[in-house]
Amino acid sequence: MNDIRAEALHVVSTLMRESLVDRKVIARTEAPVRAILPDLNVIQIGGLSIMDRGQSALMPVLDEIVANQHEHTQIIGVGPGVRARHILSVGMDLGLPTGALATLAAKSSAQNAYMVSCLLASHGFVYLEAPFIVQLLPAMLAAARGAVFNGIPPYDLWEHPPAFGKIPPHGSDAGTYLVGEVFGARSIILLKDVDGLYSGDPKTEPNAKFISEIHASELIRMDLPTLPIEKSLVSLLTRAKSAKSVRIVNGLVPGNLTRALAGEPVGTVIHL
Amino acid sequence: MSNENDRQSVLSDLGTRLAGGVHADAGIGRASEPASDFAILPWANVVKIGGQSIMDRGRSAVGPVVDEIVANLNRHKMILGTGAGTRARHVYSLAIDLGLPVGVLTVLGTAVAWQNAQMLQYLLAKHGIAFLEPQEFGSLAHYLMERGAVICQGMPPYKLWEANPDSGRIPPQRTDTGCFLIAEVFGARKMIYVKDEDGLYTADPKKDPGARHIARISVQDLLARDLNDLVVERAVLELMLNAHHIREIQFVNGLKPGQLTAALDGEPVGTVIFNADLARGAQA
Repeated sequence: MNDIRAEALHVVSTLMRESLVDRKVIARTEAPVRAILPDLNVIQIGGLSIMDRGQSALMPVLDEIVANQHEHTQIIGVGPGVRARHILSVGMDLGLPTGALATLAAKSSAQNAYMVSCLLASHGFVYLEAPFIVQLLPAMLAAARGAVFNGIPPYDLWEHPPAFGKIPPHGSDAGTYLVGEVFGARSIILLKDVDGLYSGDPKTEPNAKFISEIHASELIRMDLPTLPIEKSLVSLLTRAKSAKSVRIVNGLVPGNLTRALAGEPVGTVIHL
Repeated sequence: MSNENDRQSVLSDLGTRLAGGVHADAGIGRASEPASDFAILPWANVVKIGGQSIMDRGRSAVGPVVDEIVANLNRHKMILGTGAGTRARHVYSLAIDLGLPVGVLTVLGTAVAWQNAQMLQYLLAKHGIAFLEPQEFGSLAHYLMERGAVICQGMPPYKLWEANPDSGRIPPQRTDTGCFLIAEVFGARKMIYVKDEDGLYTADPKKDPGARHIARISVQDLLARDLNDLVVERAVLELMLNAHHIREIQFVNGLKPGQLTAALDGEPVGTVIFNADLARGAQA
């Protein structure tokens, strides 16, 4: 089993002594991925778009989640909203780096996720911090009736400095998607306050066309000046192995979530 | 619940612009650019101890590196991160064979870097050196001030949230990247990688005897050469382009006593990869 040489002790494997930076070695590791939780539906509740509007927007969404509980396994990622924008602006004014800003902003979405978990508690939903997603999600889904998690990924101090400015590039869209991708989820649905993607800003451009379906690479090529989702999510989708699409629907319209869970063509779907 | 007046009252000027738009708005990203950069720990040095290159060699390689760390405890403040190495290669190949996703491989690889960090901590414990998990980094400054060094595992804490690579199934952001991001976020004085080569070569010197040493190269030049293999994870080079604080990273041979000390003292040993784009540096 062990290859004992004068200097180093190696464990025999197909990658033994290889450079994991070597492109040829990396290319050799391409292989299919198994879905860990193939029945899982990952749903994001937007921060600014849904949470910050309070009960008039949020309660109908939660009612719809509960109504679908017996039909679909759902876990809910929640975005941070306006409090994250506030602490980002204070933090940037103080000169703090992106990793510090990401750590701070993640607490705002943790608050929102915790509130959602309280509102769904009587239906058996639990709030899971990142370490518990890693260790306990399958057990919690078997015992409880769903889970709520912080949409922002746990990158914290290790968040990437972006190409422009300091705003953490991986927010609750990217974090929610990555949970769906790693578990090989059945669907990933982002609940926002817009119907989906448009070729321009529908508020200012009356000729803006609705996009019901698009490939991530095409969306990157279009280089739209504003998007209702994080650019990092679109980039992650181009490298999807398991979760090969994301659907954006208007969470302010009752019935949209149910239709999306049923696989109906509502909102915008972005494909690999 | 949240109307425009409420938003205005809690938000600064930039905050109002952020609240009105979305993160994806490139204009807002640029608007945040002129903000000053505060270096949190400008005297800290991040030192990564290689996994396959140092730790896997056992006492013959680790002993002298530990001695050199101890000799520098009163001279330089060091955040010591560890690499993973051959056990990570084994568990990656096994997990890939089992069809497990990149996020799961990252969880597995993190455990290997953690093992190496624990071993290094046992060797340095009698000098009062502590091991810190990512969630304990709030105490990092205290340990550095009191003891001169701390140990952490080098992997970034991405776990299941690790992004897929462009090609293949190996987690693209491993311990080189995790240590680099620690240096960047704290605005550290130096980022030094301790490996088993004198730095960067035109090819892998372990396999190609004609490979030539490169003492100093810009990250832009290195990326433009589009080499098949590199001394460091590609993610580090890409992140260097966007870094606000870390202008250069240094690679030294941990099998040659004195190289780590020389690098800590600011001498040009091994290989230095620097950012030739001065625009970012002017902010730092």
